[in-house]
Amino acid sequence: MRSPAKAGERFGSRRRIGSSEKPVTSHASQSINIEHRADYWLGRFQAMASPCEILLEIDDAKLARRLTQLAADEAWRIERSFSRYRDDNIIHRINHSHGQPVQVDVETAQLLDFAYQCYELSEGLFDITSGVLRKIWKFDGSDRVPDAKQVKAMLPHIGLNKARWQAPYFTLPEGMEIDLGGIAKEYAVDRTLLLLQQQSNASMVVNYGGDMHCSGPRANGQPWTVGIEDPSREDHPLRLLQIRHGALATSGDARRYLMKNGKRYSHILNPKTGWPVEHAPRSVTVAGASCTEAGILSTLAMLQGKEAEAFLDAQGVQYWCVR
Amino acid sequence: MQLKKKHKKKAIRGALTTASCTLLGLSNVAQAENAPWQFDAGVLYYSETDRVQAIEPVVTGKKDFGDDRWLNLKLVVDLLTGASPNGATPTNTPQTFTRPSGKGSYTIDANETPLDDTFRDTRVAVSGSWDQPLGDQLKGSFGANFSTEHDFLSLGASASLAYDMNKRNTTLSAGVSFESDTIKPEGGVPTPFASMVPAGSAQPRDASDDTRTLVDLLFGVTQVINRNMVMQVNYGISTSSGYHTDPYKILSVVDGSTGATTDYVYEHRPDSRNKQSLYWQMKYHLTEDIIDLSYRYLWDDWGVTSHTLDATYRWDLGGAKYLEPHVRYYQQSAADFYRVFLIDGAPLPAEASADYRLAEFTGITLGLKYGTQIKGHDTSVRLEYLSQTGDSSPSEAIGVLQDQDLYPDLKALMLQFRYTF
Repeated sequence: MRSPAKAGERFGSRRRIGSSEKPVTSHASQSINIEHRADYWLGRFQAMASPCEILLEIDDAKLARRLTQLAADEAWRIERSFSRYRDDNIIHRINHSHGQPVQVDVETAQLLDFAYQCYELSEGLFDITSGVLRKIWKFDGSDRVPDAKQVKAMLPHIGLNKARWQAPYFTLPEGMEIDLGGIAKEYAVDRTLLLLQQQSNASMVVNYGGDMHCSGPRANGQPWTVGIEDPSREDHPLRLLQIRHGALATSGDARRYLMKNGKRYSHILNPKTGWPVEHAPRSVTVAGASCTEAGILSTLAMLQGKEAEAFLDAQGVQYWCVR
Repeated sequence: MQLKKKHKKKAIRGALTTASCTLLGLSNVAQAENAPWQFDAGVLYYSETDRVQAIEPVVTGKKDFGDDRWLNLKLVVDLLTGASPNGATPTNTPQTFTRPSGKGSYTIDANETPLDDTFRDTRVAVSGSWDQPLGDQLKGSFGANFSTEHDFLSLGASASLAYDMNKRNTTLSAGVSFESDTIKPEGGVPTPFASMVPAGSAQPRDASDDTRTLVDLLFGVTQVINRNMVMQVNYGISTSSGYHTDPYKILSVVDGSTGATTDYVYEHRPDSRNKQSLYWQMKYHLTEDIIDLSYRYLWDDWGVTSHTLDATYRWDLGGAKYLEPHVRYYQQSAADFYRVFLIDGAPLPAEASADYRLAEFTGITLGLKYGTQIKGHDTSVRLEYLSQTGDSSPSEAIGVLQDQDLYPDLKALMLQFRYTF
């Protein structure tokens, strides 16, 4: 058994509510490569602004290449379909619909259903419409904290309950935006693993920038060891982490904040108030049955501020909080 | 500022899991149904010097139905052969005993402990339980069991609750179980204290069968002390009423001055037994290794009190391999009605038994277990040595009995294999 002490550190950075993510360069090198490690194949590519890895316990190089290609195609497809930085997808159409109903495809409908369920379960804390706060909050380490009036002015443009969702038509009021960035990467991890499992029974791990899902222990019963980027530790940017089964997702980025008059403003914004959550952990990693579930729980835990641990305890999940 | 109410955090995980499964095109229920059974198979070989040999295959299976709901099933088969002490004392002349069926007899040499060699049985036990959460912090487990031998049938049911509190650092548990046993001794239920009659004659029998019912209650607290240590304390009460006598055990009746055997009578035990026990366990997780210490104190209204000290050390060898030494010390006092023999002509006590398991004795177990993984499956082998010693020359021994070993040491070896798949 892994003790919390060993794994209880932060992993990757990224995503989430109202954050100033770097736009994905859609022309990022769409190439894959595979490398043979001691007793497995490692497939690598770049997607969703993250290094992506597929660990495959197989011998066959051709199969490893085929599976990595399959994974990359799926990750790139999800990125293309749901990135808010593109102008050729459903998210762009919804965000530029000027209050008119938009007919959505089946997959988008499922993601919207899921987003609604998360919104309701979290009593409005998880909100795919909170991205507009990005316009006033720029977490660049500066002291440019918006004033209360500016924040208040944003609130009418936030709240998934203000949109209308009657499948397959989604109607978003003018001035509002949606962003599936808080779901898409974990969704891509789970989707990719399902896809690969249809092709091979081998033990494997799908790791997209530190959010990962493992099909099960290796043939020798041992866990997989996965390297995770840890940007908060400049001297030691790579952490090793073991995973045997299930999924892990991490929220938090210690480097994104504002500082004014000695007060630190975290990049975790409460969509109900428009203000940063106080006393949020620096990072939260949650273990779950799926990466999607673990990702939502880690995000919600951050939004609980100093009650993050109490929230996670109530969920009965394994987690690692770094404060 | 919002008014912050210090309310309990809502558990949303169940609903979230369902939502995630729907999103990923997985049916939550269908996935659980497809979850494979996990099996654990083992076989135990037990051998007492000159006495009982047992082979016990065990198969347990569990299946995940999702949302922390588990079905557990267990099948145990006990194949027993060998000989068991019948309760009579050894003496300086050969002794002939009637078999329990009343249809034959066996003779024991002078100065030998009388062992009934017709001891042969097969026990089949099946049990099942269903575990599921009953709320946010409450878990329930409901079980039933069935066990049968050619002369014994047992039916039981149990329920237990576990309540997590204090951020899941404390678990309170309570359990209740019922058991109904039917004893149908070979040859019938002997009349208490009746003399054994030679084979072929009418045997002193009261009935063809008898029954016994048991109710057990258990209360426990498990406390996480720190990251490395977990402690558990249990208190149990067990009450049973009905037939407790061992129908195959007898007592020697001896002459009050010479110690020579004059008769054999069937034993007789109280028709109820009330036991209480206190149990303490501590598990300490070192960096890799685990220390497990426990102590049990048990007392009952038969006058039996016992102390069990148990310690294991799990020594992690890396790569899922471990070595686990085990030491156990057991000490019990005799039941109030334990008699090595009865004296001819003396008033009969209300109850009496010469069963060596009700005598005062001390047992020591030394064991070693090695665990590893074979193709990813947990596998272990365990070897244990058990030695049990009592008072071989009790002060009440009379005449010829003073030269006999009235509590021969019991030595046994146990070998167990387990494989999980």
